[in-house]
Amino acid sequence: MESTIDSLLLGFSVAFQPGVLLYAFLGCVVGTLVGMLPGIGPLAGISILLPVTFGLDATRAIVMLAGIYYGSQYGGSTTSILMRIPGEAASVMTCIDGYAMAQKGRAGAALCIAAVGSFIAGTFGVVALTVIAPPLGAFALRFGPPEYTALLILGLVFLAYMSTTSLARTLLMAAFGLLLGCIGIDVMTGHFRYAFDIPELGDGIGIVPVAVGLFGLGEILSTPSHTMTTKVIAPRFAELMPTRKEWRESAMPIARGTVLGFLVGIVPGSAHIISSFMSYALEKRISRHPQEFGKGAVAGVAGPESANNAASTGAFVPMLALGLPTGPVTAVLMAALLIHGVPPGPQLVTEHPQVFWGFIASMYVGNLMLLALNLPLVGMFVNVLRIPYSYLYPLIIMFCIIGVYEVNHSVIDVWIMLVMGVVGYLLRKFDFDPAPLVLGLVIAPTFEMSLRQSLIMSNGVWTIFFERPISASLIAVSALLLILSALSLVRKSKDWRAKLAAAEASEADQGRA
Amino acid sequence: MTARPNDERSGRRVVLRRDHIAGGVFIAAGAILFAVSGDLPFGTLASPGAGMMPKLVLGLLMAFGAILALRAGESPPLAELPWNDLTHAVTVVAVSAVAIALYTVIGFVLSVTLLLFVLLYFIERRKLWPALAVSIGVTVVSYLMFSTLLRSPLPPMPFWS
Repeated sequence: MESTIDSLLLGFSVAFQPGVLLYAFLGCVVGTLVGMLPGIGPLAGISILLPVTFGLDATRAIVMLAGIYYGSQYGGSTTSILMRIPGEAASVMTCIDGYAMAQKGRAGAALCIAAVGSFIAGTFGVVALTVIAPPLGAFALRFGPPEYTALLILGLVFLAYMSTTSLARTLLMAAFGLLLGCIGIDVMTGHFRYAFDIPELGDGIGIVPVAVGLFGLGEILSTPSHTMTTKVIAPRFAELMPTRKEWRESAMPIARGTVLGFLVGIVPGSAHIISSFMSYALEKRISRHPQEFGKGAVAGVAGPESANNAASTGAFVPMLALGLPTGPVTAVLMAALLIHGVPPGPQLVTEHPQVFWGFIASMYVGNLMLLALNLPLVGMFVNVLRIPYSYLYPLIIMFCIIGVYEVNHSVIDVWIMLVMGVVGYLLRKFDFDPAPLVLGLVIAPTFEMSLRQSLIMSNGVWTIFFERPISASLIAVSALLLILSALSLVRKSKDWRAKLAAAEASEADQGRA
Repeated sequence: MTARPNDERSGRRVVLRRDHIAGGVFIAAGAILFAVSGDLPFGTLASPGAGMMPKLVLGLLMAFGAILALRAGESPPLAELPWNDLTHAVTVVAVSAVAIALYTVIGFVLSVTLLLFVLLYFIERRKLWPALAVSIGVTVVSYLMFSTLLRSPLPPMPFWS
């Protein structure tokens, strides 16, 4: 414990450097805006701004990009409460009671409760991350290729299990991503795979063009400007303070949402979205007045908002400690660290302590910044929502082009982005979630390498995955999850994933109406 | 949209559903890629080749595509899919494609100004002067920001550099 405190102090010495503070602040501001603006989520925001960090050192880069991620969770609540538009998918549940509170004239109180809940959850998440990540990283040092293969299989299966679309759809998307990850030169044999005589494809398909295409351009293509409304309720500063009764009603939902969100955040999948749904369902179930949910229940704002912030912090645990992305956002953050020559994983704590602890300490500071940004300055941020969408989306396309081009200064990457934008549009039409595709693309090189290394070291005996205790346990958990998923297909009643999908679809429709 | 294969004799009409198309596309794409993967060696389990992983993944892709097509009865009919945003999507893609094609030829400033102006004035029917001002202003500010502040230059105009 003493060494953890010493390390954290080292982290604070990094986080309080003026340059790091500045980039944490920039990340928080951009994240708040990204969370608020419909049509641009944290993944597209981080991907577009990734090239901006190339001139920075690894610590400043990751601090800024992570600030965008957890800042977007704060910002997402603003549009949900004031406009009934989930600026970010995790804010879908906040729309229901947040907007109902706004219609009752309690928009300020809803925003304040959402911001305070997010702050408490975010801070708890960072404390838990501080305690859990280093020992988990030390444990992961025992992992060899078979364990990594099993861990990545578990990650994909967990993602499929947690997904709101069907198991087959999710695994199909993951397979599509793995296939895209196979494009380029095979590092073990030097064979060109699916490069079709395009030299630029020799290095493979980058994650940024794919992510920006699927999530940035794809969203724009699916959103004609006439379907977007810009009617905004702007609360005054004096209206922000909740009443004593509202504070009382929000205290326990914040606490429950915080713990639940962090636990859900650690497991792979779109955890911050799922956690907010689970928190809403939990609060409604244990409430003495469940009939108030949907009509402006304080717990319906406090719980989900805390849960999605805690989950976004929890997602950093496997990313930093194991080098395992739990979703597309952490996958892009991992790519950012790799670009800066810092491989995330068990060795991160020992080999790059300044990056690891500086990053963690910056999250304590970042959460404070976000609380300050999202309460007194909410009126100013709300003005951004007055920009007509017909002006906004051409600018987003411009930033998509700049962001993708700047990674490699390659126009082929921009074409890939355009193609992936069309693919993203079609995938949405056919009810596919593009997130597993990005995850598949990111883990493809590690997965292939560890699978082939495992087979080579066992001389072709595939039972190696069942002979080693850690990999056998991970494979057993994967099998269990697949069985549970199969069971839910047999059952007639809707399970929680189907309910979440229905809630997301209904809120998105109402937000655009 | 309906398909009437052999079932017509029995008087039943098979409705073409969303997942028939989705599953079919992935099966077809998987089969085509499998066919062009012939030169990639699969190797053996003890010595996996460059083609092992892609071929395994293609197998999975076609298998999941088949599951989707087989369970297509649960998905809505293809004719019910809303395509009211298609015109907007096609227009945006076409304008973006032209801008990307010109991006390194005429430089960032000209290609992106054109992109923004076409989208704002012709597609979104915004007023001429605001559309022009936003297109030029945003492009020039972005160019200067990336070139000077972020030191990450964007493609210059050929006659400028």
